[in-house]
Amino acid sequence: MIEPFTLPFMGRALIEIGLLALICGPVSVFVYARRLAFVSDALTHTVFPGVVIGFVAGGLEGLFVGALVAALLTAVVLTLLTRGNRVSDDAATAVVLTAMFSVGVVLVSRRTSYTADLTAFLFGRLLTVTPRQIAETAVVAVVVLVALLIGARALLFRTFDPAGAAAAGFRVGWLDLWLNIVVALVVVAAVRAVGTILVVALLIVPAAAARMVTDKLVAMAVVGTVLIVGAGYAGLLASWTASLRYGVALTSASSVVLLLVAAYLLLIPVRLLRTRRPGVPPAPERNSAHELVG
Amino acid sequence: MTGAEVTGAALRYAGVSVGYHGTPVLTDIDLELSAGQRLALVGPNGAGKSTLIKSVLGLVPVLAGSASVLGADPVGARGRAGYVPQTDTLDADFPVSVRQVVMMGRYRRIGWWRPARAADRRAVAEALDRVGLADRAGHRFGTLSGGQRQRVLLARAIAAEPRLLLLDEPFNGVDAVSQEAIMTALRQLSGDGTALVLSTHDLGVADELADLVCLVNGRQWAVGPPAGTLTADNLRLTYGGHAVDLTDGRMMLVEP
Repeated sequence: MIEPFTLPFMGRALIEIGLLALICGPVSVFVYARRLAFVSDALTHTVFPGVVIGFVAGGLEGLFVGALVAALLTAVVLTLLTRGNRVSDDAATAVVLTAMFSVGVVLVSRRTSYTADLTAFLFGRLLTVTPRQIAETAVVAVVVLVALLIGARALLFRTFDPAGAAAAGFRVGWLDLWLNIVVALVVVAAVRAVGTILVVALLIVPAAAARMVTDKLVAMAVVGTVLIVGAGYAGLLASWTASLRYGVALTSASSVVLLLVAAYLLLIPVRLLRTRRPGVPPAPERNSAHELVG
Repeated sequence: MTGAEVTGAALRYAGVSVGYHGTPVLTDIDLELSAGQRLALVGPNGAGKSTLIKSVLGLVPVLAGSASVLGADPVGARGRAGYVPQTDTLDADFPVSVRQVVMMGRYRRIGWWRPARAADRRAVAEALDRVGLADRAGHRFGTLSGGQRQRVLLARAIAAEPRLLLLDEPFNGVDAVSQEAIMTALRQLSGDGTALVLSTHDLGVADELADLVCLVNGRQWAVGPPAGTLTADNLRLTYGGHAVDLTDGRMMLVEP
């Protein structure tokens, strides 16, 4: 069970997943609580053309810079689009998402190695992670964790009660940009290893699954991280076993994501059991209806 | 905190209009509230009560007139006045404990970096005690009843120790026990010198709790102590056809 990970590329893949788990656990909690799943999905798609342009201009190393620029740019644009909690801006977000994704596809289709490149961008190359990539992921992870730690209280307040946070003197618009940039950085960190499509799973599934077993935010973050590490380990092992022992090509990043989703599904009954246990039902409300005055 | 904050009116509006995008929602507001006074904003739904409260918080612009909040203009005073929103605007499924919600009232004092201190935790415990929910600190916010959630939000405001506190319909959908607990806590707060502004469409509450009543609907129609202000004539002005005289000399509002 350990042996495959003594191979350098398998070990590096596991370390990369571990680093991503460290940031995706806590960040997914905010994505979940802020209901930012769609915005996160949009971010992953808008990063795509940046990834392509970066790759065309500077190869694998340019890819990181391209993703970074595209991610920060779209974090700003999406913050402006979703300003003021107007849910109807879904449409605008969707337009940005599809437009940017199409630009990416057009760009990548001009290359001769079209299919191979597209697959790598969309689904990542977990098994070819280099030590340099791990170092870059580690740097981004530190930045993300520090940003999250500094902003945690304000972000929590804003997420729970935007009007209350604004009344207390917090700048809601800046906090939204803050969180969107954090999400964008996670996308940048994860995009080469798991691809633009699968990274959204790491941002949404961990917290959603963790919510099945706990009501506490910190516990959700920890459980989320543990789930990603578990799914990462099992997914890599499954993909290794499948291809070596059975000759079945099983993409490693997809295996990781599928196992993460499986964990989510397995935890649904836990939630049902937890919510059905005998507790204190909410007291019936009495509407104050005495509109009488002497 | 400067000396200028401590002296003078907690809230002073003179000929104020407030609204969004340059369009006034509420006009002709003249108010003066001293430390420890309780003001009830009374008017039908859509009268502009919430807009007025948000203008005091610096979240809705003052379009005309002169407005002073704790000795500064409303935007300059942002974050210094306390605010209790309506609990039904919040997500009951949110994974946050009662204690965490009340601690939010301390966030501005705690700052970005340092952890909560003993003084913060004490303030949270005392605030919860004041609203009678000390035993619920560890519960998830959403598991409480609507009235209890409203009390938690009041505790959050108390923990911030504001000198001016604004409450948006604090008795809406609140059970009798919680209403009594909120009333008691509010009296205690004003006794300590906190100026209170609360919106309500419940005339009974305004009559019982407020030192001053301000009748609004698109504009200010009357302001003063409840006895001389909640008169049949003023209510007819404010509520239009929705104010109906009862035979026993009392008045009833339909479709408030």
